[in-house]
Amino acid sequence: MRATATYRRARVSRKSRFTAARFFVALIVLVIFLFPVYWLFITSVKSSSEIFARPPVWFPADASLGVFGVLFKDGDVWAIYNSLIIATTSTVVAMILGTAAAYSLARFRTGGQNLAIWIISQRMIPPIVIVFPIFLLFVWLGWVDSYVGLILLYIAFNLPYVIWMMRGYIEDIPIEVEESALTDGCSRWQALRKIVFPMARTGIFATTVFTFIFAWNEFVFALILTRTEVLTFPVLVTHYYGAQSTFWSKIAALSVLGTLPVFFAVATLQRFLVRGITMGAVKG
Amino acid sequence: MRKATGIKSLLGALAVTGLFAAIPSASQAESAADIAVEAAKKYAGTELTVIWEAGLQSLDPLNFSGPKWEELTGIKIKVVESQVNEMFPKMMQEHRAKTGAYDILNAVPAWLGDLVRAGALEPLDDYVDKYKYREELEDIGDVYRLNQMKVGDKIYGFPDDGDVLILYYRKDIFEDPKNKEEFKAKHGYDLAAPATWDQFYDISKFLTDKFAPAMYGSGNMRARGLFHYFFLERARVEGCRFFDAESMKATVNGPGCVKAMAGFIKENTTMPPGVEQWGAIESLAAFNAGQIAMTQWWPPVGRWSAGYGADVEALSWVPKSVVAGKVGYALPPGGHPELAAGFSMAVSADSKNKEAAYLFIQWINSKEISLQRVQLPYALRDPFRKSHFSAPSYQALWPDAKHYLAALEAGAKSGVLDLSIINTFAYEDTLSAGLQAALGGEDPQKALDGVAAEWDKLTEKVGVDKQREAYKDWASKPNAYPN
Amino acid sequence: MTAALGAGQRANLFADRHFKWLVIAPSIVVLLAIGLYPLIYTAIVSFQQITMAEENTAWAGFDNYGALFTDGRLWLSIAHTFIILAIALPIEFVLGLLMAQLFLERMPLKQVFVALLIIPTVISPIVAGSTWRLMFDQQYGPINQIIGWLSGDPVIILWLARPEWVYPAILICEVWQWTPFMFLILLAALSNVDRSLIEAAEIDGASFWKTFFKIVLPVIKPVVVIALLIRALDLFRIFDIIWAMTKGGPGTATETISIYTYTRAFREFETSYAGAIAFLVIVLLSVIVILALKRVEIAK
Repeated sequence: MRATATYRRARVSRKSRFTAARFFVALIVLVIFLFPVYWLFITSVKSSSEIFARPPVWFPADASLGVFGVLFKDGDVWAIYNSLIIATTSTVVAMILGTAAAYSLARFRTGGQNLAIWIISQRMIPPIVIVFPIFLLFVWLGWVDSYVGLILLYIAFNLPYVIWMMRGYIEDIPIEVEESALTDGCSRWQALRKIVFPMARTGIFATTVFTFIFAWNEFVFALILTRTEVLTFPVLVTHYYGAQSTFWSKIAALSVLGTLPVFFAVATLQRFLVRGITMGAVKG
Repeated sequence: MRKATGIKSLLGALAVTGLFAAIPSASQAESAADIAVEAAKKYAGTELTVIWEAGLQSLDPLNFSGPKWEELTGIKIKVVESQVNEMFPKMMQEHRAKTGAYDILNAVPAWLGDLVRAGALEPLDDYVDKYKYREELEDIGDVYRLNQMKVGDKIYGFPDDGDVLILYYRKDIFEDPKNKEEFKAKHGYDLAAPATWDQFYDISKFLTDKFAPAMYGSGNMRARGLFHYFFLERARVEGCRFFDAESMKATVNGPGCVKAMAGFIKENTTMPPGVEQWGAIESLAAFNAGQIAMTQWWPPVGRWSAGYGADVEALSWVPKSVVAGKVGYALPPGGHPELAAGFSMAVSADSKNKEAAYLFIQWINSKEISLQRVQLPYALRDPFRKSHFSAPSYQALWPDAKHYLAALEAGAKSGVLDLSIINTFAYEDTLSAGLQAALGGEDPQKALDGVAAEWDKLTEKVGVDKQREAYKDWASKPNAYPN
Repeated sequence: MTAALGAGQRANLFADRHFKWLVIAPSIVVLLAIGLYPLIYTAIVSFQQITMAEENTAWAGFDNYGALFTDGRLWLSIAHTFIILAIALPIEFVLGLLMAQLFLERMPLKQVFVALLIIPTVISPIVAGSTWRLMFDQQYGPINQIIGWLSGDPVIILWLARPEWVYPAILICEVWQWTPFMFLILLAALSNVDRSLIEAAEIDGASFWKTFFKIVLPVIKPVVVIALLIRALDLFRIFDIIWAMTKGGPGTATETISIYTYTRAFREFETSYAGAIAFLVIVLLSVIVILALKRVEIAK
């Protein structure tokens, strides 16, 4: 007993020094990863001569948010609204369908290994390989340049990811816990709600976040299956690369605007995510 | 609105003076623009969709021609914007599915052949006659009219953009007595806009040696998707032929072609470091900032470097010009500027409203409206009609505008065409890849041998006979090869 | 907690035939609805002769497939794809794991740090490619400037124009963007590991590595395998960042299978030949994925 206490004390002081070192390393990692983001941001507020200055300007003296105003005034932000609708709807539906399917795979081994492999194989095909026939199909259905077309496509596109990730997270939950709940008289739905969902919570959040990101950022399908009405933001960014002009400030500004919603979505969910992580830590 | 009142006052004047019958033909007095507007009124309430390059280009139909047309005719213009590299795929893709999503195609002339062969374009001759447009078509600069309008012997597109890569140089540097004296002492001839590529190298090197790093002798686009225009031009100036017209074997690795490529590599050493990566925007920025003394560019650089439109919000991304008033205009060395890209207005074969679509392109392409369009400060449409080059309103836009227009007009006579055969893009793409490899350090001969081999493969795939026919059609155009 | 159930009871609880199919059916329907038609279409056109100029639907037998074997650019593009995959994936995994270890325990501002670290992954690959294109620019970008400071001499590296520099450039962008993805998934997985087991092992004097391999790794393995698999598949399809940075250049140095397919299918409208490429890709991937998955499944 006493030995353990001494060990703990020694461990605590070693740990605080260790934490300081970790904090320092973490800070460096953070700076490295965020530097390009900083560069993108300052590009959006630079004046045109600062963008083309040699050597490059690190701290724009002439910073202005003017180009953001232009994006709002000219209606370019519409693309972000489109992305928001498409990504949100498709993520919610894909999470519901996919988690259910993942539960079936994880707990019942439905369809055996082959079904699972078939599902993941649906994600391996490069979009560019199948997008033309999809375009023809959508023409026939009247879905080109429509929300419903892209939403459905993104659901299908993200389902394998959701199913596989959620299968992994659900398999992590000891089956005994669920069994005991079921034998204690819970209905299957209650067992899901009381045991599976809370315990797979970290995984659900992480998967939701990434599904949303994939849908938000998808480029190839959006490029080929839209014209004007549901243009998404990554496609609009490429519009600023002209043959005789490159609107770097617009590219950067729309990129910043297009990153903010996802970032806030992720940052908000991430609080839950980290809470899930710390709960896991506290539990031990 | 302006035109409507114009017609009214004209008719009014005729009626008042009682000379109505004395005028040879009332319709002759009517401009092509007016004819189009009158005829289009019966389609009021409909909508036409046009695919246009995103960005500055599309400000024309979005802010100017679209709203104006709607006001005059009641026909709405919907603009589908697309990144320039995606326009051809989008047009073809919609054509394959026969969607008729685009009524009007704003197409690069080099694509016309492929689009026509795929059945995507509507022949325009009948409309041209019906709506009396032939006469005004004659006003389009020879090079554009003779080369960028027809496929075979039918009209498929109206040349609508005078893209030509002329040379812009710093008059003040070239006319500086000290520079002149030193240059002459060194090279034995006068410092002036270079007439040959050898002179270009001499001048570029001279200026770089003297002024770098503050200013380099020259800086040209080298990035993929742009550089091949420069190569196509210069190779032909050096006597390169792209194919043997009989065997259809690629000869793009011939001596003239290799010489041209080697020349570029040599000149790179006189240009700012990193020029191998330069796109359009880099050379524009460097020229406007006074960091290079010569550049070969599209016509807009002439306007922007003069400060025309500098206060327009849409042009706020253009680096401020410090060289306004100091820019000279000349044909590039060799005297045969590339008619790089450009645009022709065409009607989609899948359109459900072809007549109205035609009337719109006649209207925007007409003398009257096109003159307004090429003068829009934010426009990327460059003068392409004889009447543009001589328009007093244009010549008055900035002090040297007259010289600018004269240089463009000269280019519109002697310019050389982009290659346009079956599956042009594939040829262009493999060429670009080979040229990039050469810029990246590969031996020019070896790189172009590789291109020739790839081209032969492509030709075989297309069918040698079919491609020969397409090539002959292209090569028979007056400006396919110099002389 | 009740005692574990007997084998018979368990079979009862998880043998609900209707329920298990009911919950998976919607997903299967959606996947079939979107996935089947393109496959059938591609299969059919790949045996025809459709090109840009001619919608020739006459049968061509295996001509298009035969042509694949002599298409050097195709095989090079496949090689490029695997090079990027083979380098980026291990780096992303190891970096992600190290970062997850770094952030696993309590640390001031941890939540803020983790949230900020995710930004690269949140950014659209098109934007990421554009950003790095700007960063690597010889004149306007800071990378060469920083290298110049570090080395003491100004440097001119044409990152995207030179074949020997373009891969590092693309890999840096790729690793920058997706390491946080690995990091977050691994952080979630690691946090599910029972802390008491680790502490017990530490008290027993087990080394960090021993603890990691014996206790931590087995627990996080299902998620790790899936994360690796998903990233591998994404890397195989890599398109957006290359599109934004080089479009496959210089020359065809960075042309991946997706970029090449795009060229054939949407530039040249070699619809039939592109169909054959599509099938080659699908077959190739199926073989690899099934082999990989079966191995994993056996190892389980």
